[in-house]
Amino acid sequence: MAGGNGAEDPFVLAVPSKGRLQEAAHAFFARAGLELIQGRGARDYRGAIAGLPGVEVAYVSSAEIVGQLAAGAAHLGVAGEDLLREKALDVEARFELLSPLGFGHANVVVAAPKTWIDVRTMADLDDVAQAFRAKRGERMRVATKYVNLTRRFFAEHGVADYRIVESLGATEGAPASGAAELIVDITTTGATLAANALKPLDDGTILRSQANLIASLAAHWGANARQAARDILARIAASEEALKSREVRARLPVPAGSIVEAARARFDAVSAIGEEADPHGLVALHCARDKAADLAGWLLTKGAERVSVAALEQTFAARNALYDALERRIGAAEA
Amino acid sequence: MIPADSASILPDPASQAPQSGDAAYQAPRPAGERALDCFLAAGFERIEPPILHAAAIFLDMSGEEVRRRLFITADAAGEELCLRPEYTIPVCRAYLASDKAGRIAEYSYLGPVFRARAGQVGEQTQTGLESFGRLDAEAADAEVFSLAMEAAMAAGGGAVLTARLGDAGLFDAVLESLKIPDPWRRRLRRGVARGLSLEAIFSRPSQSALAQPGVLAALESADHAGAKALVEDLLAIAGIDAVGGRTPGEIADRFLEQASLRSGPPIEPEKRAALDAFLAISGDPDQAAIELRRLAHSAGLTLSAALEAFERRNGFIAARGVAIETTRFSAAFVRDFDYYTGFVFEARDAQAPGARTALAGGRYDGLARRLGAPHDIPAVGAAINLDRLMNGGER
Repeated sequence: MAGGNGAEDPFVLAVPSKGRLQEAAHAFFARAGLELIQGRGARDYRGAIAGLPGVEVAYVSSAEIVGQLAAGAAHLGVAGEDLLREKALDVEARFELLSPLGFGHANVVVAAPKTWIDVRTMADLDDVAQAFRAKRGERMRVATKYVNLTRRFFAEHGVADYRIVESLGATEGAPASGAAELIVDITTTGATLAANALKPLDDGTILRSQANLIASLAAHWGANARQAARDILARIAASEEALKSREVRARLPVPAGSIVEAARARFDAVSAIGEEADPHGLVALHCARDKAADLAGWLLTKGAERVSVAALEQTFAARNALYDALERRIGAAEA
Repeated sequence: MIPADSASILPDPASQAPQSGDAAYQAPRPAGERALDCFLAAGFERIEPPILHAAAIFLDMSGEEVRRRLFITADAAGEELCLRPEYTIPVCRAYLASDKAGRIAEYSYLGPVFRARAGQVGEQTQTGLESFGRLDAEAADAEVFSLAMEAAMAAGGGAVLTARLGDAGLFDAVLESLKIPDPWRRRLRRGVARGLSLEAIFSRPSQSALAQPGVLAALESADHAGAKALVEDLLAIAGIDAVGGRTPGEIADRFLEQASLRSGPPIEPEKRAALDAFLAISGDPDQAAIELRRLAHSAGLTLSAALEAFERRNGFIAARGVAIETTRFSAAFVRDFDYYTGFVFEARDAQAPGARTALAGGRYDGLARRLGAPHDIPAVGAAINLDRLMNGGER
């Protein structure tokens, strides 16, 4: 694994191998102009990215992605934060969560039977768990596949009188079947919980999870890997930034200089074409999507006849915030 | 909880524990054997319980927090097993499975225990002793504590250990005498065991703010039957199906408890002051006994039985010749395990790196019943972590 002259192992991007997560990941990369090409046949677990020859795409299960990132076998990967925090120790020290991806939303919550009308918070649960144990000599059972998340969260809330019953499927049925008193599980709408006569506790949200682009700090970050990461992250940043932004254009009857300054101060807008303002009153600004209408209205009060607001495809910037975040963790390249 | 073929988990006398030429535990063994000799000489028979146990036993006794310390594996049927993280529970199980169960039996042990700790070797050598069934509790307490101290000093090559003593029985007697309501007793014991101040314990919310104030108000003068009927009606009106867990009666009881705790501070100021004064008592055990009597008198506490036991034990410990100047009593020293019912102690070797607790023990009359015995069995024991003694790993 030594750097320098020796042939460097390929840069590996690990993405989910099946299901909705795979589709969403493909769509996400496609939006950034990164076309993932799966090998011949659906059972081929290696792929590539069109136009980026130094990159190998590994199709693996979500749990395995976390394992590969932890071991440094993959440089970047797409995985739910819930799995990362459940499966890996020392998440902050060993990984960099580069960007939430906007899909795979799921909250990991503590849920109790609806009949427990006296239990709304973790403090209630602690009280009830202590009384349960004092009375029955047994600990309250919590069914979950999130053993580590549960243990950490319960410890933070000082809840000690419980036992975990590991559950690998249909966790929400455990209270009804008598296998456990309460559960820790993912929920998106709460409908499954409600259908099983369960309710989430008010302060029982352990994690608001979604799919993340995660960098491994254990991987070997040689020159090729860094270049590949820079290319991929530049495109992702460009499309992410574009998605959040709008371009607002107008012609004003006065030179644009002071207008650009004022728009920066009032709307956090930046000049779309660089720092030098147009002396003839043409302004093209990028601002956050939700401020575009206000900015347009303000430009009208400054004398513009028409203001156009347009969506953007990609916005590349000299500074790549995603790669910068990665480089802060892996250190600058050796000279 | 005890397996049917449990006789097989008792050691076969012919194949007892590793011999001294055995390579596996070479480094710490000689020190461990010096400790073990102290126990054997006092009549504590050596026992070597199994290394593999159902993980559920340790999780049930100590809680999920120990899970991250356990080396967990599974048998062919998928049952979770673990390597023993300590000896007390395995020895107690072996005792209960033996024909001595319920009668007097005294054991010693020396061997590996397995605990996962970041950056440390997962296998450590432990020695210790357990006494079951003795009715002369204070004498047994004193003997086990003194033998453990002697053994640790022998193992540590003359190391001087400083010990801290506590008394869960005294603590419970104070709460009982102050007529502290039940839920607060649990919270106090746990909070004090975790080193929290009374301020922190009493200010911690134990129920959601404004939890159903209407229900609580309606229940203020209700009895169990009335409260249960109300809860059942509430559930029926809301159309909530019963799903496992707690009964409407249990939910009603908690509402009643909350209703009774709702008005005023959790504990009257004079009781709180007495509790503060009690928890502050620490120092020389004999001096502590004087202070405890003074407090009992001034605060009107009826502690005579617990205090007499405390003084009797102090007397036995002094008679056994443990250096009293290295032994301190602390009223706030309790353990967060409810099967510890009385005397508790721990000691550290001030010269050892980090000076972490090298010896710990106490009275655990409640454990046998937790492990399946029909009733409590008097029990007291102590364990020594040889690796935490100055010379434990070297000679």
